Amino acid sequence: MFVSDAPAGASFKVKRVLLDKEVGKRLADMGFTEGAEGAVVRGGFLRGPFQVRIRGYDILIRRSEAAGIEVEPVGDWSAARDARGRGRGFRHGHGRGCGCSE
Amino acid sequence: MRNDMQGFTKTLKIALAGNPNAGKTTLFNALTGAHHKVGNYPGVTVEKREGSVRRGGREYRFVDLPGIYSLTAYSIDEVVARDFILDEAPDLIVDVLDSTNLERNLFLCLQFQELGIPVVGALNMSDEAQAKGIDIDEKALGAVLGLPMAKTVGPKGGGIDRLLDLIDEAAGAGDGADKTIRYGSEVEDRLEPLERLIASDARFASRFPPRWLAVKLLEKDAKAYERLADHPKAAEIGRLAKSSIDWLEKHYAKDAEIVISEQRYGYIHGAVKESVRIVKKPNFSLTESIDKVIMNRFLALPIFVAVLWGVFKLTFALGEYPMAWFESFFGWVSELALAAIPEGFLRSLLVDGIIGGVGGVFSFVPLIVILFFLLSILEDVGYMSRAAFATDKVLHAFGLHGQSVFPMMLGFGCSVPAIMAARTLKSRRDRIVTILVIPFMSCGAKLPVHVLFAAAFFPKRASEMVMLIYAIGVALSLVSAWALRKTALRGDPTPFVMELPPYRAPTLRGVLWHVWEKTWHYVKKAGTVILASAILIWAITSFPVSEPSEAELESLAAAFSAEHPEAAPEELEAYLETAAAEYSLERSAAGSIGKFIEPAFRPLGFDWKIGVASVTGFAAKEVVVSTLGILYRVGTEESEESESLREALQRDSGFTPLIAFVFMLFTLVIPPCFAALATIRSELGWKWLGFAFAFMLGLGWILGFAVFQIGSVLAAS
Ligand SMILES: Nc1nc2c(ncn2[C@@H]2O[C@H](COP(=O)(O)OP(=O)(O)OP(=O)(O)O)[C@@H](O)[C@H]2O)c(=O)[nH]1
Ligand SMILES: [Mg+2]
Repeated sequence: MFVSDAPAGASFKVKRVLLDKEVGKRLADMGFTEGAEGAVVRGGFLRGPFQVRIRGYDILIRRSEAAGIEVEPVGDWSAARDARGRGRGFRHGHGRGCGCSE
Repeated sequence: MRNDMQGFTKTLKIALAGNPNAGKTTLFNALTGAHHKVGNYPGVTVEKREGSVRRGGREYRFVDLPGIYSLTAYSIDEVVARDFILDEAPDLIVDVLDSTNLERNLFLCLQFQELGIPVVGALNMSDEAQAKGIDIDEKALGAVLGLPMAKTVGPKGGGIDRLLDLIDEAAGAGDGADKTIRYGSEVEDRLEPLERLIASDARFASRFPPRWLAVKLLEKDAKAYERLADHPKAAEIGRLAKSSIDWLEKHYAKDAEIVISEQRYGYIHGAVKESVRIVKKPNFSLTESIDKVIMNRFLALPIFVAVLWGVFKLTFALGEYPMAWFESFFGWVSELALAAIPEGFLRSLLVDGIIGGVGGVFSFVPLIVILFFLLSILEDVGYMSRAAFATDKVLHAFGLHGQSVFPMMLGFGCSVPAIMAARTLKSRRDRIVTILVIPFMSCGAKLPVHVLFAAAFFPKRASEMVMLIYAIGVALSLVSAWALRKTALRGDPTPFVMELPPYRAPTLRGVLWHVWEKTWHYVKKAGTVILASAILIWAITSFPVSEPSEAELESLAAAFSAEHPEAAPEELEAYLETAAAEYSLERSAAGSIGKFIEPAFRPLGFDWKIGVASVTGFAAKEVVVSTLGILYRVGTEESEESESLREALQRDSGFTPLIAFVFMLFTLVIPPCFAALATIRSELGWKWLGFAFAFMLGLGWILGFAVFQIGSVLAAS
């Protein structure tokens, strides 16, 4: 699974970053390292950028970057997808766990 | 003891470094009393700035740096920060940390510690952290990480004294090289022989800390390898680094640089766990609620357009009245001067040259104030990163970048800082394209030209007309970016990775200071460049003096009477006065120059006066207005009644609404003022400056030509 597969509101745990040297290293420096918890806040609409919460802060990345971050789903992604489907936006509770405590 | 004394007498050179948007400049301003630009956007500061404070007989020389996430730099602003820290050997680093976002901020802190330079941590934004329920035990955290830390609140100057105390202590205590992070035995076992080999050359090791260099070599940092080249055993070290990297990559099955990053984060995570408690989980966040609308998938882009539209609409709406006051004030002043000073050169210089020229520019101060105020508010609340989110998709399609939005929006204010702000773009190609299209974002100095002409020739639709010009500018920037990306600057799309800060209440003091600075700059320009060029323009329009002879006047009068048989004698007299003034003007130096360049402008419908005005715009775009003020008021001075420049333009036969529009368009597209051109040169070099100049001039002329010719045909039919 990749960040780009995650629906808005879905939480994840980073497995690894499969991107070329420069961006890969930059994302690792900005907190995308193995085991880091995060969540997709919004995005991917019409191939636009994603807003991802990682280590307690938010970052914007394009789909091409999101597609290079391999993650492990945390919680039920389909629930997040359903919640979005019903037009209630993403669930606050989901993305919050990734504050300063992992 | 000796160490202490030594530390105390000398001036301390202190780098203020840290992640982008952590509050370095805010803290710098609080420390030094400076007023440098602060904004809620990662990448506001793009060059280093110095400032000092004295306290207890010691001088602290602070250097505010652009933000960085790591000592591996990507963009030019980051390189500035990294090079300062590595090459200019600060005595101490104050690492400004965003307390609400500690893990990522500490990642850089560990790298500073490896440099062997004393580090003091400023836990900034501690007010926000507290509000968010993040409780940091700075003593415990500092003890684990091995550096002194103080909580600070930048905008209020909170914790500054404590910070200075810690700086004193740390400066006396020597470096903290023994306190650096341990990477775990697998990595440490590779680092140790590398460090030893690097340290074998004492001279080299005194310049570059061996441990830091060893880590950077494993991280495959290109700059570190460059530095290594000076080492007598460079080849051997390089081979050892290579084999160590291979071993690590085989062992961990991932890139060595990623391994290092992960080890750092692991270490930080442990340290933070011990000393930071989340005392409450907020279940409501203002930023999230606002973003539900502002960053809504359907609304984000329309909202961005509406925000831009709103900024300009509000500028015109609010600016209208004070502008009218200024205008009548200068009208009154010039009437006063006309009454007080006898006719002659002095009066002409004062009334036509200075009041007519500079006063015309001054009238626009209210617009500039309001525009900068609104742009500055947008920046301070944190809207600019949302704008990047909203527009990345569209900009990307045209070969620009989401991060181009920030410099481009600054361009509505002034191209010079906008061009420099493009330094935050990582790819050189993105940066060049962004810089080349920034001048199409119609700047604050062009605004007077647009407003003047819109009001004179499209009085019913003046603000719509100016908006149209702005919209054309934006459209041109997109189309030319696209064209450049298809030709001279082809290349793969570059990644978009940008942090999104929370909304923050703008600090009124900061905004007002910024607006004041910009306004003062504008006023100063009016008093210097614009005044000087107004005097020059006045001089070349007044000399050499030539009056029409009696015979010429008679033939003019005869021609007028033949055309207007029923004209009253006063009308004839008025006509003759104007004609005489026109006669002198055409034979003045300005007239000769104007006539010489006129052929280049004729195809656009411009007469020589308009040509002269647009050429003088290179000094500063407002000069276009002052030049027009001088050129068009020369004929009215004898009548002893003041007439606004707008009315003078309306009355002139050289202008029609079509020509006025073409002139606005031409002013928008042709190369920017000298200051902006000089900035393009210093950012990109002569070659790109030449290209930009030719491109803008060519495009401006061709567009002006096309619109005028097509417009004339349409008007005729
Ligand atoms: N609440 C709060 N806001 C702060 C504090 N320090 C800075 N800010 C705000 O944070 C934003 C960023 O501040 P800057 O000083 O521009 O940050 P910087 O580190 O210089 O940023 P760059 O130059 O972009 O790297 C601004 O909106 C400041 O008003 C603080 O202690 N508390
Ligand atoms: Mg700054």
